[in-house]
Amino acid sequence: MMLVVFATLSLALLAAYCGPRWLAVAAMLACVALSIGLFLFEIYSPEYGFRMPWLQVELDAVPQVWSRGDPA
Amino acid sequence: MNRTTGARLPATLNDLFQLAMMLTMAAILTAAMVLQYDGGEIPCPLCLLQRVAMFGVCFGIIMHFRHGYSARNDGVGMLFALLLMMVSVRQTLLDIYPRPGHSYIGSAVLGLHMPVWSVVIAMAILAAFAIKFAILGDEHLRDRPPPAALGRLAKLLSLYVIAIGLINFGSVILQCGADACHTSGYRLLGGL
Repeated sequence: MMLVVFATLSLALLAAYCGPRWLAVAAMLACVALSIGLFLFEIYSPEYGFRMPWLQVELDAVPQVWSRGDPA
Repeated sequence: MNRTTGARLPATLNDLFQLAMMLTMAAILTAAMVLQYDGGEIPCPLCLLQRVAMFGVCFGIIMHFRHGYSARNDGVGMLFALLLMMVSVRQTLLDIYPRPGHSYIGSAVLGLHMPVWSVVIAMAILAAFAIKFAILGDEHLRDRPPPAALGRLAKLLSLYVIAIGLINFGSVILQCGADACHTSGYRLLGGL
């Protein structure tokens, strides 16, 4: 898949410099679509899906606050 | 300042901006390749996608110098900056909490690892485009070819970017073949 992404990218760069404009734009559109598809494939985990459970933004437990003179 | 000079100045400044942007992208991509070929740091799949996004920014600039100014070319550059931001933020968050099998790949430069640098670079590209549009607008930029010296420089730089793009393509063939990419070696050189 990465091979096809770089193949379309190379074609787009070459066409942008010395080829027809429609070919450059078409190749770059294909490159963007393939890149986004590959990105989603790479970050998807069968275990977590697209979630990132290793990022914890909540406190484990609310810290106890003792008011002065009331140790109970 | 007469009317012709006044109208040409924004177009020349825009050409200089585009050239500086392409030079910066080329320098970053060259540094990444030096780290890969000289430092032995084989890029991960998300790292390769970040390179694609940087080449995409260059694509918009090459189109500008070949076909003349169009806001569409700048739009393409900004779209790829957004792609770079999306991929690098995800990779930064993926490895931000070290755990088995997950840590930042490669060496740190000035204390920041590559995906974190990519976030900074993507933000800088988007900020640069925003500032350019805010200062220059786009009404005086059309149908004005760049000065000869700038045009020659842009041509040389475009050829260099295309050349490193092709080298990266060859490198991906060696590293990944037609399969998934790994950072443990070059598949076609028997590294896997």
